[in-house]
Amino acid sequence: MKRMYTVIAILLAFLGVAYFKENGGIVKQAKPKVGVLTLMHHPALDQIYKGFVHGLAEEGYHNGKNITIDYQNANGDQSNLKTMANKLVNENSTVLFGITTPASQALANSTKKIPIVLGAVTNPQGAGLVKNNKRPGGNVTGISDQAPVKEQLQLVHKFMPHAKTLGIIYTSSDSSAVTEYKEFMKYAKQMHLNLKAYSISNSNDLNQVSQQMLSEVDAVIVPTDNTIAGAMQTLVKNANAVNKPVFPAVDTMVKQGGVATYSINQYKLGVEGGKLTADILKGKKKPSTTAIKYIRHGEPVLNLKQARKLGLHVPASFQREAEKYGEVIK
Amino acid sequence: MNLIVSAIGQGLLWALLGLGLYLTFRILNLADMTVEGTFPLGAAVAVTAITHGFSPLAATLLAFGAGMLAGLVTGLLYTKGKIPFLLAGILTMTATYSVNLRIMGKSNISLLGQKTLFSGSFMTSLPQYFDSVVLGMIVIVIITLLLIFFLDTDYGQSFIATGDNPVMAKSLGIHTDATINVGLMISNGLVGLCGALVAQNNGYADVNMGIGTIVIALASIIIGEVAFGELTLSQRLVAVTLGSIIYRLILLAVLQLGFSANDLNLISSIVLALCMMLPQLDKLFHIRKPFFKGVQTND
Repeated sequence: MKRMYTVIAILLAFLGVAYFKENGGIVKQAKPKVGVLTLMHHPALDQIYKGFVHGLAEEGYHNGKNITIDYQNANGDQSNLKTMANKLVNENSTVLFGITTPASQALANSTKKIPIVLGAVTNPQGAGLVKNNKRPGGNVTGISDQAPVKEQLQLVHKFMPHAKTLGIIYTSSDSSAVTEYKEFMKYAKQMHLNLKAYSISNSNDLNQVSQQMLSEVDAVIVPTDNTIAGAMQTLVKNANAVNKPVFPAVDTMVKQGGVATYSINQYKLGVEGGKLTADILKGKKKPSTTAIKYIRHGEPVLNLKQARKLGLHVPASFQREAEKYGEVIK
Repeated sequence: MNLIVSAIGQGLLWALLGLGLYLTFRILNLADMTVEGTFPLGAAVAVTAITHGFSPLAATLLAFGAGMLAGLVTGLLYTKGKIPFLLAGILTMTATYSVNLRIMGKSNISLLGQKTLFSGSFMTSLPQYFDSVVLGMIVIVIITLLLIFFLDTDYGQSFIATGDNPVMAKSLGIHTDATINVGLMISNGLVGLCGALVAQNNGYADVNMGIGTIVIALASIIIGEVAFGELTLSQRLVAVTLGSIIYRLILLAVLQLGFSANDLNLISSIVLALCMMLPQLDKLFHIRKPFFKGVQTND
C-alpha cells in the first residue's frame, strides 16, 4: 500500500518537474540523423530499406560516417509504432523515412515539423498523409509504390488477346492493395476488358476463393498485395491445376510462379527514397513543394519456365524486352 | 525526459484496456478474448464517426456503446448459447474483424486534419505529450471512481459473488447470467473506449490494431499485482493503471538500452513471464525484496 502511494507520488512529482522543464534537455547533434520506421519484416519491405541505405550512400551519406540511421521495426505490432515514432522525433532526427502506411501515419502524427519521406505508401492523399499528391503542402512527401497498372493490363491483353473474363484477387484489409485494385478496375473499363473482382480477408481464405475464381475466369491478376505475396504458392498451385496463368504486379510473385509483369523494383523504390532524403538533407528540396513521385515504367519480368508449363504463347516483343531490360526466369 | 512523459501518457491511455480486462479476468475469472476485437472496434467506430462529422466526445461515447454490444454478444453466446467461454470470445473477436471492415469501409482511416479529443485549444497549449497525460488522467480517475462506486453497490457485490463462486451466487438468488452479461458489457465498453482514445491519439484506426492487445492488458494487470502485493479491491484497480505505466516504462527502457526492436515481442513476453513466475522464483531463491527495489528505481 505504502509502495503504491510512493510510486504515485514519484510519478506526479516527475510529471510536475517535466511540465515546467519542458524542452529543457535538447542535445545538439554533430551528425544529421535519419530515422526509419517500418511496420514489419517482409522481403519486399526489407528490400526498400536496403535500397534506401544505398540511395543515401550514392548521394554521399554513409551510415555511421557522416549520418546516423536509426532503424525501428514494429514487428507487425501497431501499438509499438507510436512509441517508436516518438523516440525518433525526440532524438531530433533531421529527416524521417516511413515504410508502409501505418508507420508513415504514426510518424506524421508525431511531428508536424521534421520532414517525412514516404516509402511504399500507394496513395498518400487517400491515406490522409498529404493534402494533395501533387502539392503535399506539409512536412510529408515521398515515393508511391503503385504499380504501373495500365502497362500491366496491356501486358495481360498481349498475352491473352482472346480471354473473355479476367479475375483480380486482393486482400480487403490491405489499403494499398485496395487502392491498386480500384485502379485496375478503372483502366479495365477504359480498355473494355471484363475484369471480375474477388477479395479475401486473410491468407486462410485464399485457397477456396481462388479455386472459385479459377473456375470462372481465364487469367488471374494480382495487385501489390503483401498477404497474397506471402501465400503465392497456394494460388499458383490452384492455377496450375486448371492450367490458367497468373499475372502478379510484383516481381517476387512472378518468380514464385506468376507468368509475367511490369514490376516496380522495391530496391529501386528505396533508392529513390534515399535520394529524395539526401536532397532534403542538403536543403535542395522541401516536402511541402515536392510532389509525390510515381514510378511510371516497370521493369519487364518474364517467367519463361511457367509460361512453357502452361503452354502459353509468349509474345516475342515482350520476351526481347525482358531479356534486354528486365529479367527472364528460365 | 520527454520520452518518459510520453510513456506515462501512453500508459494512462492503455490502462483502460487493463481495467476492462480486470473485470472479466480477475473478478469474473473468465479469460475474455473478445478484447482483441473490441479494441479495433472502438477505434473504428470513433474514427468513422469523427470523419462523418460527429463531435469527438460523441464519437468516443459511441465507441463505448459499440464495445458494450460486442461484450453482450460474447455474453449471450456463453450464457444463452452455452458455448464455452474462451470459444465465445474468440468467435466474437473473429467476427468483429469483418464488422470493423464494414464500419470503416476500408482497412485504414486517418484522422489527419480532423478534430479529436486531443485537438482542442487547451490540449494543444500543453507541453509536448502532456495532452495524453492530462486526458488519460481525467478519464482514468473518472472511470476508476465509477468502477469503485459500482462494485460497492448491491449489484456490484452480486457481480463479484458471481465470479467468486457461481454456484453459491445462484443459491443466493443472483441471476448469474445477467451479472456475467453486464460485466462483459462494461468490460468491453471500457476496451472500446480505450480503442477510441488510442486511435485519436495515434491519429488513425487500422483493422489490424487489435493484434497483441490482450498481452498488453494482461501485462498491466500482472505487473500491477506483482509490484504492489496485497491490496483491497479498489486499490487493485489503481494498481492496474500503475502497472500499465510501468509496462510502458519497461518498453521504453528496452528501446533506450539499444535492444533491436526485432526483439521487442520476445522481451515483452519474457517480462510478463518473469512477473508471473515471481512467486515460484521467490520460493526458490528468496529474491522478492531485491526485485522490488529494482522496480522502484525503475520509476
